[in-house]
Amino acid sequence: MARVMTAPASSPSSPSSSWRRRPWVRWATPLLIVAVLAVLPLVGTEFQNETLARIGVFAVAVLGLNVVMGYTGQVSLGQIFFLGFGAYVTAYGVSQDWNIVLVFVLACLLPAAAGLLVALAAARLGGLAIAMVTIALPIVGVPLAKRLNEYTGGSQGLSARFAESPEGSGLYDDQWTLYLVIAIGGVVFLLTHFLVRGKYGRAFAIVKGNENVAASMGISPYRYKVLAFTIASAIGGVSGFLYMLVIQYTSPETMSFGHSIELLAAMVIGGAASIVGSLLGGAFYVLVPQLTNQVDASLTALLQGAILLVVLFVLPGGLASLPRALTRGRRRLRAGRGPAAPPTTPSSTPGSGTAAEQPETERQGHA
Amino acid sequence: MTLLELEDVTASYGPVQVLDGVTLSVPENGAVGILGANGAGKTTTLRAISGTVRAGGRIVFDGKDIRGMRPDQVAAQGIAHVPEGRGTLGDLTVRENLMVGAYLRKDRKGIDEDVDYCLDLFPNLRERITSNASALSGGEQQMLAVSRGIMSKPRLMLLDEASLGLAPSTAKNVYDAIRRLRVESGIAMLVVEQNANLAFTLVDTATVLETGRNALTGSSAELKGMDEIRRAYLGG
Amino acid sequence: MKRHLGSRKAVGIAAASALALTVTACGGGNDAGRGGDAAEGAPSPGITDTSVTLGITTPLSGATAGPGTCTVAGVTAYMGMKNAEGGIEFGDGKTRTVEIEALDDTYDPQQAKANYDQLKDDVFAMTAGLGTPTNRAWLDAAIADEVPQVLIMTGDPIFSETEQSPWQLGFVPIYQNEGEAFGELLATSTEEHKVAILAQNDDYGEGYVEGFKSAIEGSDNIEIVDELTYEATDTSVDAQLTELANSEADIFFNAMSVTPLMISALQKAQQLGWTPSWFLPSNTSSPTAILEPGGAAAYPGIYSVSFSKAPQSPAFAEDEDVQTYLSALKDYGNYPDPPAFPHCQWSWMVGATLEQAFQNMEEPTRDSFMEALRSIEGYEAPLMLPDTSVSTGEDGQPAVSTVVVQKFNGRGYDTVETFE
Repeated sequence: MARVMTAPASSPSSPSSSWRRRPWVRWATPLLIVAVLAVLPLVGTEFQNETLARIGVFAVAVLGLNVVMGYTGQVSLGQIFFLGFGAYVTAYGVSQDWNIVLVFVLACLLPAAAGLLVALAAARLGGLAIAMVTIALPIVGVPLAKRLNEYTGGSQGLSARFAESPEGSGLYDDQWTLYLVIAIGGVVFLLTHFLVRGKYGRAFAIVKGNENVAASMGISPYRYKVLAFTIASAIGGVSGFLYMLVIQYTSPETMSFGHSIELLAAMVIGGAASIVGSLLGGAFYVLVPQLTNQVDASLTALLQGAILLVVLFVLPGGLASLPRALTRGRRRLRAGRGPAAPPTTPSSTPGSGTAAEQPETERQGHA
Repeated sequence: MTLLELEDVTASYGPVQVLDGVTLSVPENGAVGILGANGAGKTTTLRAISGTVRAGGRIVFDGKDIRGMRPDQVAAQGIAHVPEGRGTLGDLTVRENLMVGAYLRKDRKGIDEDVDYCLDLFPNLRERITSNASALSGGEQQMLAVSRGIMSKPRLMLLDEASLGLAPSTAKNVYDAIRRLRVESGIAMLVVEQNANLAFTLVDTATVLETGRNALTGSSAELKGMDEIRRAYLGG
Repeated sequence: MKRHLGSRKAVGIAAASALALTVTACGGGNDAGRGGDAAEGAPSPGITDTSVTLGITTPLSGATAGPGTCTVAGVTAYMGMKNAEGGIEFGDGKTRTVEIEALDDTYDPQQAKANYDQLKDDVFAMTAGLGTPTNRAWLDAAIADEVPQVLIMTGDPIFSETEQSPWQLGFVPIYQNEGEAFGELLATSTEEHKVAILAQNDDYGEGYVEGFKSAIEGSDNIEIVDELTYEATDTSVDAQLTELANSEADIFFNAMSVTPLMISALQKAQQLGWTPSWFLPSNTSSPTAILEPGGAAAYPGIYSVSFSKAPQSPAFAEDEDVQTYLSALKDYGNYPDPPAFPHCQWSWMVGATLEQAFQNMEEPTRDSFMEALRSIEGYEAPLMLPDTSVSTGEDGQPAVSTVVVQKFNGRGYDTVETFE
């Protein structure tokens, strides 16, 4: 009996994962992704490219939030602060004519340092206390950005254009910008992918799963929370750099608290603790306002709220869980048809619907 | 040779004094039981050792004062805490849970051997190696929790209520395996157990706690014989 | 096995077609959806022989949705009325109807830029949107794309400096204009005055104070006795008021943009027994929303500035402009209630000003439009108060730079010529 019960739990992944394990798929898939990304900027219209670039910006921001919240389980409501910080560092550096590589490095390091300081204090506190401390970040950030107007341009903000496509490349600015976003964002995604798959990622997962267990295994929850928070801040800084690259303007409104909540919603909608989910979250963040504006510009807030609720009701695991939900749904449908079938559709194998399928998936798995 | 020594250990949750001077010692390769009624302070004693509860008094492990260390530092000394309620990580597979235990280890080969050893000790886990821990039965989760403890290659294992919520036959299986582990590995054990009869199959000596204090200490054989005490403290 | 081959073939085809697309895109040059330099005189995007489309990005949800919705409603009502009459006759002799595409930016600069990107190829000009950061976010882009960003609702002077902002023009008075108007009024007084200043610590407050000071320069009878600032995010200015009250100033120049703060300031000064004459910015001087709850009757004078008729005021109940406006707002502006924010009136004037420009532009191009727009002189748009007008020719000034100072009469405002 136990054997039968275990089968459905372990099998959903087996057909697709074995498909993924085939050698040609393993090298062809990344290659295909790279090829598509390389070609994408050249085929889209200007507005499509701009939209994709914006998605890239917020996908990176959501990815950072995912590191601390999705993977490590620490509620952070301040991620937008690090995006804003990175954007301001970038804007200031560009206005001072600093080397752009140096600007990029600073846009990562300064937010990371700020994140580290906050985390050192906040990670000692448990659960909700961390959330409270992180709430304070955007709330302090907005007036700070207004007050330090020597560096931030006050409430009028800072503009910076530094992504003109190089002479002779034959690229339009929007194409060049999108290439940069894909390149920088792609590296960040790749590094994060390896991070969460590796030893640190495992430690994050353990801290998220059970802090006591983590501690009893010699993993300091404090240290890993600080680490996750710092990495999330650095990624936030990168997204701020990309923000300046794409939007070319920042003001105190950039880091208003509401956007932090929107980022969080985007993370949950995309799929917490999921790399693909971060990308989907970024797309959600950018496309939904665009969509609701198209439907009725005076009802955007209402429509966005409705979409959010619908997605969460239908897919509590976020958009990234859609394939899994579909497989499960199909399985349930078939399983449901099994026993229920004889009265309605006599053609189906009576009573043994699930049993008959089991060997089949097994065979696929070993083929 | 004494491995762990507790002397007059106290602890409290807010205003409530839970440990009021607990004293005990676990010899190298030994197994000691902590028995007592609910609320007597058994689990808190283990938590005081593992650093998850702030404690007073003296706690010395292998000649080193470990009182006041953080839980992860205590773990790094070679003490594995298998907590009550098992604390398996449901989102991770059985194999991943085992690897959690080996987090601080670098010896790849030794880790592989120990995984094999765990699966040998608990054959049920071998069948479920790729399942999520949340899909395991209660007994299997307990086996996984003990195995995770083994994977950290400890010198002392703190076992908290390993039989809790298990069918009697499953509980017996678990204890049989732990006894085998004790014999084969020489890991010292400090065992909290409600079911005294089960505990006596594993431990050499035991102490009975009553409202946070030692009420009685003796060898398994001695305590087993004391019918009245058994009825009073051990619920059996 | 068959499936393998199929998939592999599919990948190959995909890659090949992607490559092909690349080649076409590279070879295609200027036409991949990007507006290159059009030939001289050829129509700009968003305009045909029978219609012209205008774009607006403004907050339609969130905290600033109230005034934001007004910025769309006024101009939509005006153009709706004109369309119902058959359209507007342009300077090139063609009669066109005017369509408006409005998008919500929630006062988020990033969203405003996205909205602009979305609209720029479909609209002839961008107009009427509210907010300094939300307009600044795409200022540079609009210049680079040569898309007009005109008659927008921000007091930020940058939009009115032709050199820096060749494709821009602000509509409402800049902060300096308002402060200056009150300073000039005060300078007409023959008595000695002590002035206390409280200003928001940003470009808004600084603009007001700068305008005020420039107007009283050289008036020996006016002395600034104390000057303090506060942060826009502060929840109380009691400490500043206590200090200012001790200065015993008889004039209080309060450059404050936060409604609840303004109300509590009016209440607090009374408690302190300090009853000077007040100057309030136009956007925090509403009789019903601020002066009544603040107990403004206790002060000898409450002054503010304005350039538009207040439709609720009994003085304008019979005014023809106001009646036309209110019925159009209901019929064409999707705004059935009496307007709660002056932005509705301002937006209506934007519509009228655009009509002036349309009538004078000789070619259906953005260049020609900008030229016509910048040539409006002394136009008294509907709903404007006497002595105010639209003048677009002066560099550094928005379309409306003249305001009149008004004094609170217990229910509404009356225009005053001298300080009493």
